[in-house]
Amino acid sequence: MILIGELSLWVALLMATWGTTVGFAGGYYKRPELIASAERASYATFGFLLLAALGLWTALLHSDFSFRYVASYTSANLPSVYKATAFWAGQSGSLLLWAFILSAYSAIAVWTNRSRNRELMPYVTATLAAITLFFVLTLCFGSNPYERLDWIPPDGTGLNPQLQNPGMAIHPPNLYLGYIGTAIPFAFAIAALITRRLDAGWLAAVRRWTLVSWFFNTTGIILGMWWAYVELGWGGYWAWDPVENASFLPWLVNTAFLHSIMVQEKRGMLRKWNVTLVVSAFLLAILGTFITRSGVISSVHSFAQSNVGYWFLGFLVISIAVTAYLVATRLNDLEAKAELESLVSREASFLFNNLLLVGIAFAVLWGTLFPILSEAVTNNKITVGPPFFNKVNVPLGLALLALTGIGPLIAWRRASAENLKRQFTGPLLAGITVGAALFASGMRGFGALVAYTLCGFVTGTIIQEFWKGVGARHRMYGENPAMALVRLVARNRRRYGGYIVHVGIVVLFAAFAGLAFKEEFDVTLKGGESYEAKDPYGNDWRFVSQGVSRYDELNRQTTAVLLDAFRNGKRVGVIKTEKRQYMDSRGVPTFQPATEVGIKEGIREDVYVVLAGVIGEDTAEMRITFNPLVWWVWYGGMIMAVGGLIVMWPQAERRRAQAGYSTVLQPAEQTA
Amino acid sequence: MTNAMMSRRRFFTASAAGVATLTIARVASAQEGEQQVNTGAANAPMEADRYKPVRLAAKGSPVMSQAQRDELEHHLHCQCGCNLDVYTCRTTDFSCQVSPAMHGDVMALVAGGYSAPEIIAAFKNVYGDRVLMAPPTSGFDIAAWITPFVAIIAGIALVLVVLRRLRAPALAPAMTSPVTDATPDEQARLDALVRSDDR
Repeated sequence: MILIGELSLWVALLMATWGTTVGFAGGYYKRPELIASAERASYATFGFLLLAALGLWTALLHSDFSFRYVASYTSANLPSVYKATAFWAGQSGSLLLWAFILSAYSAIAVWTNRSRNRELMPYVTATLAAITLFFVLTLCFGSNPYERLDWIPPDGTGLNPQLQNPGMAIHPPNLYLGYIGTAIPFAFAIAALITRRLDAGWLAAVRRWTLVSWFFNTTGIILGMWWAYVELGWGGYWAWDPVENASFLPWLVNTAFLHSIMVQEKRGMLRKWNVTLVVSAFLLAILGTFITRSGVISSVHSFAQSNVGYWFLGFLVISIAVTAYLVATRLNDLEAKAELESLVSREASFLFNNLLLVGIAFAVLWGTLFPILSEAVTNNKITVGPPFFNKVNVPLGLALLALTGIGPLIAWRRASAENLKRQFTGPLLAGITVGAALFASGMRGFGALVAYTLCGFVTGTIIQEFWKGVGARHRMYGENPAMALVRLVARNRRRYGGYIVHVGIVVLFAAFAGLAFKEEFDVTLKGGESYEAKDPYGNDWRFVSQGVSRYDELNRQTTAVLLDAFRNGKRVGVIKTEKRQYMDSRGVPTFQPATEVGIKEGIREDVYVVLAGVIGEDTAEMRITFNPLVWWVWYGGMIMAVGGLIVMWPQAERRRAQAGYSTVLQPAEQTA
Repeated sequence: MTNAMMSRRRFFTASAAGVATLTIARVASAQEGEQQVNTGAANAPMEADRYKPVRLAAKGSPVMSQAQRDELEHHLHCQCGCNLDVYTCRTTDFSCQVSPAMHGDVMALVAGGYSAPEIIAAFKNVYGDRVLMAPPTSGFDIAAWITPFVAIIAGIALVLVVLRRLRAPALAPAMTSPVTDATPDEQARLDALVRSDDR
């Protein structure tokens, strides 16, 4: 299987080359047999990359240390699940995963469009094959997971302890699914630009793929935040690290596109802008990959430095050049087909929403790359860390939150003063009530108060929208509220699924604002000693050390401290924090000691305990942190994922016909 | 005219791509050799020579609380090779030798009666701007702070211009009625339905 996998990688290289060549040739000369061959090559590339992936998995699970990759990222005593996840622990394995997912996406895109978008598909197939070709070329000649060692070591180096976590089993594949998902809309955009078929047709084809990308990007980012929180031990979940930023950029641009696409669908406007967003999302994904893999910017998540970064830089430059040329030469085909009726309209609010999303993306990109620019200009190394990103992005984020509440309240085309008054009264009252209540209860942080007031406003907007919809169904069909709610969402998944995503955003912002009330304590305790502290809610906590224990586990030596936790005199449980020294199968330490955080989770706050060190036999140094509302981040992420799934779920066309849409709307205005 | 504009656009695109490539390649090339496997703070290289003592003679009694000291350490970049600030690194990465040493210097300066700006200035004198967690607000680096807001303001201006351009000359209904055989009453009901559902 391993040999088959190794050979399959090279055959995939040939298939991708063939698919690229005959795809473009078939599209240009309009030769059906070449087009069909390119599509078959797409399926074949997927098949061979699947074999290549299975081969690497076999080598990892069988601890075949003759392969450099297996020896570098696993050891004989590594649990099997982490041997499997070591597939994406290193440079070449993760590149193979990327190429494999891309080929799977490509095959699905070709299959689902076998009788649709036929004018576009030759170029879509060829563009996807070209991107796959780049990845397989990089794998074969830049970073090959099947590279063999001159000798076979008795054991491997082992997997970085921080990657031995369930979060790392699912976070990277999710993120890759999101990253790579941007390639399909990019390919459709390139095809539409080449063929000059820039009507709403290609947008309908890419909208669902953008949603797929957005969905996995969202879940990938949230899972990454969870992993950072439970594994890295610094008490937070987002540090504005360059690699974190790189994952955030395509998400921002995809989110902007998912809003602005509605303006083009309904009004025929923002055509240039939408093309720009679609291609930008993909280019930012490639830029993020370059940042991660080049070592050009220091990051805690970086892969080992290699020349692969330069491959990505070259690919990025070529992609930008090709895209810029195509967009520049098709500007006339991208003129708006409608006029704006009023500045106070849904489409105008979407423009400002896009401005903020892209503005945040620019600020993040600028801050991430600025150390390079500064060093090039001043020859002076600087750091751009959380203080910069927080200062720049917090006001922009709050403005975006406000627009999340404002947008749905304004009608398309033109909103009258009466309409605005009727729509805004309830949500504004909700926001003011929340802000006033929190101020009265003693909250004083200005930023947090603004954030919670806006959360109240947006929640008011969403509730009002659901309330009106449910009320309308109740009046029209006599349905009870629960049935009316279910059918309301089911009949217009896109709109109400979007509102559910907005609920997730509100919950996330509430969680972010809660960080302002975080409290930390450095504690030193002997066995039997206790420490008392007050949490941000005013509760009295007492932590009693049960002492230090040391024991061996499967592939590590563990030093653990148990704390009995009491809140307001009532025992609430035990918190265990550990320091682990990982060993290979011969008992040789493999990495620096790693810390396992002890967390007492709760809906209101987490108690987060990190073992700093042990003095003598029984004295532990710890940091205890009260982290308010952290679980709201995970809940917010889950709500966003559910909303995303509802939006993505296919809507039967017959329902639209029954509602009378298709008889009045022009084809370009119909929603996908 | 259109061709000339396109040429200019192509020229600027090509120039920007070239400059970006050269800049990144130059910096990447300069950094080659000093980059190391950096898979996490716990495994970052801990070179003792990255630490430089920051010492000043005591001038009085402490003027900062422990909370203020911890906050100050959030603004100092640990020099061990990680991406963390001194406070986070010393309370997270317990194999790091640099952040405890830098913390020791902060403690000594706090005990010597120095304020937060004075301590930051002392660290800057020894390590340079790289010891700060955010770009300085002077010289070229002030561009880091200004540019995002300038871009947003320019974006707002652009959006307003675009909105004005897209706006119909007269505020008559811009949507022309599609050709249907619906009666005026049916058309009105249909229009109301579409408007309410489109919101």
